[in-house]
Amino acid sequence: MQATSNLATENLTTRAASHDSALGGLRIIDMSGLAGQYCGKMFADLGADVILVEPPGGSPTRRDGPFLSAQAHHEMSLAFSYFNSGKRSIVLNLDTAGGQMLLRKLVSKSDLLIESERPGVMAARRLNYDSLVSEFSNIVMTSITPFGQTGPYAHYEAEDITLLALGGLLSLGGYPDTEPIAAYGNQAYLAAAQFAAVASLMALFANESCASPRGRHIDVSIQECVVLGLENAVQFFDLENVIRRREGGLQKLAGMGLFACADGFIYLMAGGIASSGFWENTIRWLEEEGVPRAGQLRQSSWSDHNYLRTDEAKSRFERIFAPFAQEHTKDYLYSNGQEHRIPICPVNTPKDLIENRQLSYRGFFSQVEHTFSGRNLTVPGAPYHLSKTPWRSPRASPTLGQHTAEILSELGLSSEAQSALFKSRVVG
Amino acid sequence: MNTLPLEGIRVADFTWIGAGSFTTKLFADFGADVIKVESSERLDALRTSPPFRDGVAGVNRSGYFADRNTSKRSITLNLKTENGRALARQLVGVSDVVANNFSPGTMEKFGLGYEDVRRVRPEAIYLAMSMQGASGPDSKYLGFGLTIGALTGLQFLSGLRDKEPAGTGTNYPDHVPNPCHAAFAVLAALRYRAKTGQGQFIDLAQTEPMISLLGPAILQFTANGTVTERTGNERLPMVPHSVYPCAGDDQWIAIAAWTDEAWETLAHTLGKSEWLRADVATIELRIAQRESIDENLALETRRWNAEELMATLQTHGIAAGVVRSARDVVVDDPQLRYRDHWAYLDHPEMGRCLYNRPSFRMSDVEQVPRGPAPLLGQHTDDVCRHVLKLSESDIAALRSEGVLT
Repeated sequence: MQATSNLATENLTTRAASHDSALGGLRIIDMSGLAGQYCGKMFADLGADVILVEPPGGSPTRRDGPFLSAQAHHEMSLAFSYFNSGKRSIVLNLDTAGGQMLLRKLVSKSDLLIESERPGVMAARRLNYDSLVSEFSNIVMTSITPFGQTGPYAHYEAEDITLLALGGLLSLGGYPDTEPIAAYGNQAYLAAAQFAAVASLMALFANESCASPRGRHIDVSIQECVVLGLENAVQFFDLENVIRRREGGLQKLAGMGLFACADGFIYLMAGGIASSGFWENTIRWLEEEGVPRAGQLRQSSWSDHNYLRTDEAKSRFERIFAPFAQEHTKDYLYSNGQEHRIPICPVNTPKDLIENRQLSYRGFFSQVEHTFSGRNLTVPGAPYHLSKTPWRSPRASPTLGQHTAEILSELGLSSEAQSALFKSRVVG
Repeated sequence: MNTLPLEGIRVADFTWIGAGSFTTKLFADFGADVIKVESSERLDALRTSPPFRDGVAGVNRSGYFADRNTSKRSITLNLKTENGRALARQLVGVSDVVANNFSPGTMEKFGLGYEDVRRVRPEAIYLAMSMQGASGPDSKYLGFGLTIGALTGLQFLSGLRDKEPAGTGTNYPDHVPNPCHAAFAVLAALRYRAKTGQGQFIDLAQTEPMISLLGPAILQFTANGTVTERTGNERLPMVPHSVYPCAGDDQWIAIAAWTDEAWETLAHTLGKSEWLRADVATIELRIAQRESIDENLALETRRWNAEELMATLQTHGIAAGVVRSARDVVVDDPQLRYRDHWAYLDHPEMGRCLYNRPSFRMSDVEQVPRGPAPLLGQHTDDVCRHVLKLSESDIAALRSEGVLT
């Protein structure tokens, strides 16, 4: 990246305010890695100016697959380009005094700093909350770490899977006869990013809407974010002394679970929560379909919740329903089951999602440019529709340091000053 | 004590079951006045879902309900009566946010659709979180957290390649993706309202946040034409990266030690210098031999107590975590205890029982959640008097008409 661009004359204040959007006018510094990148994306997609601060060599998220055409290059990560679309990139070496000074300059023009360094790293750079808030009294700083800023595990090493383990969710995943199996796709990191986004916006909203704004530090523990996904398992232990285990592949109750069909799997909830009507509807459907012995499901024993929990009930239900399911496609079972007012759904593959008629109707998938390859990528679009301030399809994710000079200009640095910074590798 | 960030915001909360209730709980815990509109005629299904205090069922005894409804107030209002609907509109008229997670059309039937609400409260933020969105060919389809997990691809992608999809074993989209996305959207709309005075309608389909989180798998298909398959605990290029058995019954540890340095440290720590052979010295070679690496590692981990192995590996800087059960996170985990993650709150019927605190600490906020879940209708009189400004005789009349049930 060359320091020659003098085109960026627009200053930081006008840029952020020019968006008529829910989060227009907010400037966010995103220096987080895998655990925070989706948080920055949520802000960017609703109109905030999100500046991705990358270390020399690029954010580690650029090395996270999958890669476009399976090319493991830092501009070819599909995960990076998805999670960082709409952001601008500046390369700053925060381990130099010059880099630290530039970050403070950025903070002076920003509302929120999101970071995911290990506890102590920001303090060593004098960029920790206490140090920043003494200069910028209204700054909100959100720190995402595996276990929080302090405590016996604060310096433990972690990956997504070890956090799913220590947060308990891993104990519920997988099959009774195998090792516990982790959920796909860095869900511990993503859970943290989502809670970080909610907490950060709460703090920003409070600051903007009250007479006396103030600085706030938000300390997000990824482990605790995972714990919040434990459903009712902790309460089962507390109130009934029952420890829930993994039960993949089993019906939770007779008539509630996964069944193989002609082209994959479907999930059926004929029994379970608020279920009496669904059970009747299922019997009616199966009888209309001429499923042998469907009428047996009317016997009074099936109305006893405790019976539905038994292996006998589960295998009886399976003997009736499974042969029928195996003869039909996901689509057939979904449409016809739902017509009979039964909660039944296909186990969709990524391909199924692209072809899904409801998602197409809603225009869910969106296009985003990939600057380095020149291709257009089809990506998940708006996760919510806001009638007045719609989610907008974001700009391409930035190439490494794409906006370094632009942002330095916005900070008021002359081209000579910028050249010196590039030359000394404080910026890149 | 400082004011909480959402103090002064009132939520007319028509949500029920999982994702909706968790969304409004986030607001309630941080200071909003969340008034949960319930009815004994149509109970929130979570009130009748286990686990129950001492295993005894009752509408005020579910731990599942309690954890998702902290810091809220509950009123009972029979929306099948004209006066009940009128009171609901009156409540909406003094609320900032109106939230529901019914199927499309349900709120409209009660005269509480967005157009109705806009008439009485133009600046309201209206959150509708149905399963598949407000309109479209499948918008009336039925579903719950488990079927949403299936519909979104999360279930297909999680599990072993040669077995049926396992998912997370929970209604995952209910607990994190949908509540967090809904809360974020509402907060964004509140911010916009603070700037412009305008309310708006938010349509959140409970499938879409989860699919948004699965972006890399979507792109693997749309950009590369490859359908991502289940890979169990394998996450290439990280090798080793899996869950390994430890001494005892159903005891496991997750280990990820894939850099050259971590791999060498792992070998030394476990006293297996033979693992430093040239044929597994680089990540490429370890990837090629991942099955035998996992088998050999499992032979070693089996000899260890899981806690001791984690402590030993962590001393040497290796990412390792014991697979904790729902009991272990409460009883055994020193970090969660240090962070004071677990709150024991006194509930009028359930007594002292366990609640989650939020997963983040805000520097100027103490004591969250602010209070336990409400009893069914616990605050009906309070809200009628102080929010709806009804007289004692009005309240008595409405009660005898069966409106406040």
